[in-house]
Amino acid sequence: MIRKKTSIALIIGYAVLILYCLISLFPFTWSALVSLAPMRHLTPEGVERGVDIMRWPPSINLFRIPPQVFGAPATTDNYWRVFEITPFARWILNTIIYAGLVTLGHLIFDGFGGYAFARLRFPLRDFWFLLFLSTLMIPGQITMIPNYNLMVNFGFVNTYYGLFLPKLTGVFGLFLMRQFFLGIPKELEEAARIDGASIFRTYFKIILPISKPALSALAIYIFVGHWNDFLWPLLMTNRRDMYTLTVGLDFFRTSYYTFWQYMMAASIMMTIPMIVIFLFFQRYFVESGVSTGVKG
Amino acid sequence: MRLNARRKEAIAGYVFASPIILTIMIFTIYPVAMALYYSFTNYQPTEAQKFKFSVIPEEAVTFHLAVFPDEPGLDRQELIDWFDAILFVELDLGVRLNPSQKQAVTEHLMIEQIVDDFLGGKLSTPMTTERFFSIYLNAEQHQFRRYIPEFVGLNNFQEMVQDEYFWISLSNAFMFSIIVVPIQTFLALLLAVSANLKIRGRGFFKAIFFLPSISSAAAISMIFWLIYSKPGVLNRLLGTIGFEAVDWLNNPNTALGAVMVMNIWTTAGYFMITFLAGLQGIPGSLYEAASMDGARFWKIFWKITIPLLRPQILFVSIMGIIGCMQVFDQIYFLIQNMRNITISFYIYRNAFQYHRMGYASALALVLFVIILGLTLMQKRFFKEEAYF
Repeated sequence: MIRKKTSIALIIGYAVLILYCLISLFPFTWSALVSLAPMRHLTPEGVERGVDIMRWPPSINLFRIPPQVFGAPATTDNYWRVFEITPFARWILNTIIYAGLVTLGHLIFDGFGGYAFARLRFPLRDFWFLLFLSTLMIPGQITMIPNYNLMVNFGFVNTYYGLFLPKLTGVFGLFLMRQFFLGIPKELEEAARIDGASIFRTYFKIILPISKPALSALAIYIFVGHWNDFLWPLLMTNRRDMYTLTVGLDFFRTSYYTFWQYMMAASIMMTIPMIVIFLFFQRYFVESGVSTGVKG
Repeated sequence: MRLNARRKEAIAGYVFASPIILTIMIFTIYPVAMALYYSFTNYQPTEAQKFKFSVIPEEAVTFHLAVFPDEPGLDRQELIDWFDAILFVELDLGVRLNPSQKQAVTEHLMIEQIVDDFLGGKLSTPMTTERFFSIYLNAEQHQFRRYIPEFVGLNNFQEMVQDEYFWISLSNAFMFSIIVVPIQTFLALLLAVSANLKIRGRGFFKAIFFLPSISSAAAISMIFWLIYSKPGVLNRLLGTIGFEAVDWLNNPNTALGAVMVMNIWTTAGYFMITFLAGLQGIPGSLYEAASMDGARFWKIFWKITIPLLRPQILFVSIMGIIGCMQVFDQIYFLIQNMRNITISFYIYRNAFQYHRMGYASALALVLFVIILGLTLMQKRFFKEEAYF
């Protein structure tokens, strides 16, 4: 009796998971199919015709050469065309520079800050800590306008400085690192200090090497977050060659016509690096996701 | 001299902490103070940038006097008599003046100096108008240097009360939270409970569910734009079971709902991971004891699972509300109708499209107070310390 009940629960469980799995994958799959569809193609009767990318079912045939999507031969042309009609390579570079420098900043300064607040005694420490804690509640919409003006006055609009400077460190990473450092046994540092190592030496030689898991989680979280960031790059860039990928994506949408195939190719290209990172570092994602859960 | 250990530690502490202290002071605390100040002014970014434009004075003077500096036979006195200070500044330098600036220009612009330098060929390098005024005014330069927004008291807030779009965008943001947060929380819980059964391939499911949340909102919006479009695949699918095609994103009745569904799709799998971690922390013996008593699945769910997951539920719902009240990217990409915008998009629009940063700051302040209030309320409701 009990056995039967658990197996029913199991079946329902599988059903829920598989169904939601399909729901999760459907949009990605569809956009991948569209990105592979040619703009126009020649029918067997020799008539040139646009490809119906909304066709249901999408009539995929992977066993023909070339494979068929939406009843037309699949092509990777759209991917190459994206690089021709937009400065897409530059956008990729910009995004890597932006997300990369921000991540580097966080790794250095969040670690510093976390260590100071976890281990060192200095005047006003508790005051600063409370102040930082209270800033967690402040929505980005408040700081965005004055920060924008600040960058305009510095002349940093359309520069990498404007993009990354305000983002080099943050309270969230500080707390993450502090929490991690608090969990390290104190004896480890004390031994080093007794041997005459300075605080800085202790940090770089003892603490940093054992902090790899926390730093990796932080790095991935920050990198993905800024790769996908949209609002700040939107404000900081108005020249096409300074766009990041998220801002550039709007380029494929004109008021008259949307270049679906190109747009989907671009979307897929900007998503794939995140998927690769995710597959390689899944463990860290789940860790940072559980302990933080901040998105966007 | 040796510093004692305490001093050393304090110095090291500040060396380590100063990058983040500086960053937070400059890019969070100072902006909050400024936003507070702006919200009582009519701060206009176009005005603030007025004196930052670069000009070539020689060209402006050439236009104004209709002569070239190297023309033969120019009469200095005649040029000075011809020179009209106000017209020159407003038309040829392109700077619009308010009455007190007009007076300053009339009284203090050093016309003779300008004409002399013009004839001497010293005006050919580009400079900002701010710099130009600092050289060629003999007093009152400060009026042309710093932009000081006009203090308008509570006007922005009074305007807000009567602003139709403020109420629309605010209630849309509320609607968004009220609908999205419970559904995404429940869905995440359902997925987590399912995945917590003796399921094979749990890692695979987790990975798939995580995908939407690591993709950028921009890319996802574009993908859903394709799906939601009128000839799009959603309508094709619904068409096969006899529904009529709907222009999901252009119809003001469905647009916000469509974005909500997309938002739930993006975040549910992500929050599921949080719940799953919580569930795996619940000892299995608790469940066994309960099922010995013959407790049914739902009873176990309500009496054991939910109470034990309270910290996670609080966390997920707080994060959900904060996220939903601020939803921006998706609205920017997908919503075309002013009836369906949310408050954070309206703030953006005021600040960067209508160039009304004072009003936008006031709106942002209201959003801040609302988010703060909601969070405190929620913490009270759950009577528990936050999980972060």
